[in-house]
Amino acid sequence: MKKRYLIASLLLTGFATSSYADIRVNGFASIYGGQTLGSDDALYNYSDELDWQNDSLFAVQVSADVMDGLSATAQLLARGSDDFNAEFEWAYLTYEVSENSQLSAGKMRIPFYRYSDFLDVGYAYRWVRPPQSVYNLSFSTYEGLSYLHNSTIGELDSSLQLMVGAVDTDITAVTYSDAAELKDTIGINWSLSNGWLTGRVAYFISEATIDVSGSNELTGLFNGLQAYGLNEQYSNLAIEEDDAYFAAIGIGIDYNDILFDAEYTQFEIDNSILAKQTQYYVSLGYRMDSVTLSATYEGNDDENSNDQFNQVPRSITGPGGVQIPVVAPGTNPPLYLQDATNLALASQAAKSNAYSFTVRYDFHPSAAFKVEFTHFEDDLSNNDADLVTFGVDLVF
Amino acid sequence: MKNLIILTLVLFTSCSLSAAVDVIVHPSNANAIDAGDIKKIFTGKAKSFADGSKALPITQADGNPVTDEFNQNVLSKSSSQLKAYWSKLVFTGKGTPPEEAANDAEVVSLVSKNPNLIGFVSKGSADGSVKVVQSF
Repeated sequence: MKKRYLIASLLLTGFATSSYADIRVNGFASIYGGQTLGSDDALYNYSDELDWQNDSLFAVQVSADVMDGLSATAQLLARGSDDFNAEFEWAYLTYEVSENSQLSAGKMRIPFYRYSDFLDVGYAYRWVRPPQSVYNLSFSTYEGLSYLHNSTIGELDSSLQLMVGAVDTDITAVTYSDAAELKDTIGINWSLSNGWLTGRVAYFISEATIDVSGSNELTGLFNGLQAYGLNEQYSNLAIEEDDAYFAAIGIGIDYNDILFDAEYTQFEIDNSILAKQTQYYVSLGYRMDSVTLSATYEGNDDENSNDQFNQVPRSITGPGGVQIPVVAPGTNPPLYLQDATNLALASQAAKSNAYSFTVRYDFHPSAAFKVEFTHFEDDLSNNDADLVTFGVDLVF
Repeated sequence: MKNLIILTLVLFTSCSLSAAVDVIVHPSNANAIDAGDIKKIFTGKAKSFADGSKALPITQADGNPVTDEFNQNVLSKSSSQLKAYWSKLVFTGKGTPPEEAANDAEVVSLVSKNPNLIGFVSKGSADGSVKVVQSF
């Protein structure tokens, strides 16, 4: 039925404008089970009990050619981690400005990473999940504009994307759900490829505001600082219209069935309690017909810089030259806000690394089976965890 | 020994089969089209012929042997790799895979009626209503 319809619309192409919108329906799904191997170990929301929801998802995409060069696309995605409640992950209009460029408007993916655009389409990559040390931001879409220009520079294929827009959503910052707003986000995402070698750079700037009122400790600290009139110190911690940047470089190789991927990312929100974050991974793979083997090493290192510490005075000068200690009211022994601030800054530090082995088996032209083993080490707490995940990705 | 001969025959046959794809266009299409152009058109990287007219590729159903031969010989991709390639574009609004015809006869019939189409068929399937531009 669908095929007949497509053929009919194909026959109409080339004649005067068809009055029927060409509607395409595509979809993808992943069903994964996983569990950690040590008792009480937890990793990527898995525990030592077999779970079938975390990485399972189901998506349907409908796209329609509205008129010459203009199309509308919506992707409805149901995640197992969200009890399979379906939400619009993408919803946008695209206008073909020329043969090589298109302008899109709506809700789209922020191209932070090389695999951002198809993060949810497990079939499109060889891991069960892209390396989580790097792919760790808890939000991935924005509302705004995106301009894409594909061209050839000498022998190289160039793909340049410019985006502008905003993010207004709950993210994981100091608690698991903090209201965040990224205003005036501007970004560039550029990749060059000669067929087997791809290089990519991306850079984004934004103005970030994150409400940390979900944390009682931080709320108490912020109120304390303001009560002592330490407004500069307060604003150096609070995340209120602070400048933020995100930078990424990446490389990909697909040569004679040898696969190599590496990415390095860094981001920071200036004058905020949140640490500067750096992440990286390298992954080597080998494809043998329908089986692909991969080994991946990844790590991250988050830290506030030294000059952010000890900025809160231990005492301030009151009326008549009296020295007033800057302490949390009612604490005995007194809790100096300097110590509390230093502690809050230090608590943002994170350092971990992980390695994974993945087997992908393309058992059907539209479906792949994958099994992945991950060993994770938290370098600060010296905790580690082993996780096995297995399942199927398909596209239709 | 007999097994070896049969094996050789089988291998030979499959080799000769894998060199049997004709790429066809409408007879009025006068563009010079080389292997690189075909690869670009069938991977969505080029959307027009050399003269600027629109190029619309048609592929064949997944299970057809000629589809595998074309994907392997011209696009240098297995059908899984090609599927992964297109899923990266489809689900990001960056491209649409070629429309799919059921068999050689349908490709010939469609191409013979539309100067913008370009398709591939098994060697010998093309008739006078279309023009063979490359063979692989």
